[in-house]
Amino acid sequence: MSTATASTAAPVAPAARNGGNGRPVLGPYAVRWARHLATPVVLGLVLLGLYLYVGAQDLDRIEQRSLNADYLLSRFGQHLWLSSVVVVLVLAIAIPLGVLLTRARMRRYAGAVLALANIGQATPSIGLIVLFAVVFLSWGINTIAVVAFVTYGVLPVLRNTMVGLDQVDRSVVEAARGMGLSRLRVLWSIELPLAVPVMLAGIRTALVITVGTVALATFIGAGGLGDVISNGISSNRDLVLFAGSVLVAVLALTIDWLGALVEDLLRPRGV
Amino acid sequence: MPESPPRPMIRLTGLTKHYPGQAEPAVDHLDLEVPEGEIVVFVGPSGCGKTTTMKLVNRLIEPTSGRIEIDGRDVTGVDPDRLRRGIGYAIQQTGLFPHRTVADNIATVPRLLGWGRERIAARVDELLAKVGLDPQTYRDRHPGRLSGGQQQRVGVARALAADPPVLLMDEPFGAIDPLTREALQEEFLRLQRDIRKTIVFVTHDIDEAVKMGDRIAIFGECGRVLQYDTPARILGEPAEGFVADFIGNGTNVRRLSLTRLCEVEVSDDRPVVVRGSGDGGCPTAPGSFALLVDRDRRPLGWAEPGQDRPLPLISHLGPEHTLHDALDAMLANNSDTVVVTDQDGRYRGTVEMATIQTHLHRVGGPGNEGGPVRGGERADRSIGTS
Amino acid sequence: MGFWEFTADTYPEVLGATAEHVVLVLQGLAAALIVAVPVAALTYRSRLPRGAALGIAGIVLTIPSYALFGLLIAPLGLGTAPAVVALTLYALLPIMRNTVVGLRSVDPAVVEAGRGMGLSRGQILRTIELPLAWPVIITGLRVATQILLGIAAIAAAVNGPGLGNLILEGLSSAGTPFAVYLTLQGTLGIVVLAVLFDLCFAVLARFTTSRGIRA
Repeated sequence: MSTATASTAAPVAPAARNGGNGRPVLGPYAVRWARHLATPVVLGLVLLGLYLYVGAQDLDRIEQRSLNADYLLSRFGQHLWLSSVVVVLVLAIAIPLGVLLTRARMRRYAGAVLALANIGQATPSIGLIVLFAVVFLSWGINTIAVVAFVTYGVLPVLRNTMVGLDQVDRSVVEAARGMGLSRLRVLWSIELPLAVPVMLAGIRTALVITVGTVALATFIGAGGLGDVISNGISSNRDLVLFAGSVLVAVLALTIDWLGALVEDLLRPRGV
Repeated sequence: MPESPPRPMIRLTGLTKHYPGQAEPAVDHLDLEVPEGEIVVFVGPSGCGKTTTMKLVNRLIEPTSGRIEIDGRDVTGVDPDRLRRGIGYAIQQTGLFPHRTVADNIATVPRLLGWGRERIAARVDELLAKVGLDPQTYRDRHPGRLSGGQQQRVGVARALAADPPVLLMDEPFGAIDPLTREALQEEFLRLQRDIRKTIVFVTHDIDEAVKMGDRIAIFGECGRVLQYDTPARILGEPAEGFVADFIGNGTNVRRLSLTRLCEVEVSDDRPVVVRGSGDGGCPTAPGSFALLVDRDRRPLGWAEPGQDRPLPLISHLGPEHTLHDALDAMLANNSDTVVVTDQDGRYRGTVEMATIQTHLHRVGGPGNEGGPVRGGERADRSIGTS
Repeated sequence: MGFWEFTADTYPEVLGATAEHVVLVLQGLAAALIVAVPVAALTYRSRLPRGAALGIAGIVLTIPSYALFGLLIAPLGLGTAPAVVALTLYALLPIMRNTVVGLRSVDPAVVEAGRGMGLSRGQILRTIELPLAWPVIITGLRVATQILLGIAAIAAAVNGPGLGNLILEGLSSAGTPFAVYLTLQGTLGIVVLAVLFDLCFAVLARFTTSRGIRA
């Protein structure tokens, strides 16, 4: 049992902490809420520390080019915008597809689709972006980035939607049908609400993955906070590199924190 | 076939379910009528098609051929969702919606039917009370916080919510410990006397079938009904072969559970003492016992002359209990008398071992020689024998 | 020139990069194993330390790879060192969590029987608990490997070794036909490695699991 749980949950970050079925491996309710409250404080302190540290340094011209408010804000804006577009598309594709593949008529394709998606997940994210970039040279850079990242982010949501719907007790569905709820209503008011915890875990994973892979957009010139890290490496300025890395890490942890918060708030009572 | 049944509520004609790719049909040309207001139990080994047949009635499974009439109307053509809203459905795993409160669960079908908010709330409380759950306490709980028995009660309440004339129950008490199951069975029978629903009840347990059914349909392989009759007739004249085997041994004792104590003549020749009424006819003969009752004639215990404290009454039975329960009580108490009360708990009389023996002989045909116990031999060791 | 022709011409480089990639991942795995299993064994029985260990490992896994590599360059410089350390850190959570889960799912009666026979804590851990938890631990290793194979591609961005270098070479020659081939070599190489590693782990799990607890 635990083997199965571990193996289904693990390839992606936040779900890994959630045992795949939405039940936290770590501590009870109180511990969870303590973490919900502590996380933003700690992340805020990290950012403050970074600001003070960088402010105390004597920046040379190259460092100033990356470490100024205008530049950082524009990269941050690009990063968020790109991530949001990707996540919206991921949800719009993966959730309906997951629902479709768990319907009786389509179920026979589920295995094949999941296998394909798993191979996709084994593909390194950087390989996928570069591949899209060099194959579809004529597309705009942003299109390439979005398509590549969406391809990469679909799997966790798709898989968790399918797992979440599949683990709904069959007798509950049967009872609902037996009482005269239509298929659509059973899906909407019974199956989806009961699948929400697992689906949310997948969505949170997709969020974190997306924010992380968007940091790689810099390789194809699509901007984002990854630019700061790349600037640091190419100009051999450790301070820039460090600041960029901290910003990306804090952003990912913030998104993860938001995801965890939503997961706890939206979990249906009684489940 | 039973004689002159009341109007049939469910009529199945030539009903067949053949799954593609399977050689044998799951249900094969079944003809069956379920009379209005009765409980018909489908019983048989697993894989005999009894559950399939039940699900054909509300078309959770679509028939390959044949007719299903409910209340005189052919329902094979109507919208299945609408059909099901008019048929109560309770299953062994309860199928309660875990993310919804007890009240929301029960309100499912009334909401689909567009009942008003107040009417639904009133109905929920009424039903909870009916199935023995305090509405105040349980209304807002989630199913996960209920015991198995309580969940099953909610399941029954949910099936009854929109007051459907027909109820389908698939082993509703199957997953529950024996003690709770018995209590639920009794309660449900009491409820049924009020609501008079037409019920199809599926079980694999012949004892449950005998207890619950007005009629029993015994299923053999491929959804064929081997015998369809009242419990008494099935136990008394089981069809040859499979049915007799399925009913198995102990038929005579089992038959005792067909007779309720309210149908039995009780003896009232035992002296009765009303507590606090002075001597009140206390027996003088040493070694004989009188029944001590309170002012409302509720039994309290056995009074023995010369003893201050009455001997406690180990058990007494109500009108719903059967002769089988009476025999059980006697064996458990090492007595050959059991006190019987009416539905208000007032003393009605006693049932003696001799009464049970008479019943066994009266219904006993061939194969009666393996009768139960010879109660009379132990008479002088038992409490209450003069 | 087609992809296969090109690969036939350049196979020494592809094999070299693949070997580097494998070595890099194995280094990370081994280091993570050495850290994660003892930490799990020390903390699995009490909630707070266990929660702390898993929590920290979880935070590490949430940090995007490019950022973690970046953070490690400052103290470790460019090249193999930050890559190995980063991969080690990423592998911690899957291995640690599965070790904890595996150890906690050992039947307490078996442990008690061991203690009743006079085995010490360490002996119980070594001869009873770890062997029984092994199938779950190996699943953790398997999952960690899949994660590391992909992340290791980013090592190239910090001048590390491995198949990522082919991908970045492909990127820098964008516009030429070789760009696609190089990128494909790097990407497909990693996918093939992922499949092979998965097979190896399936076989390894089969042969290293005590016959009594094989499914």
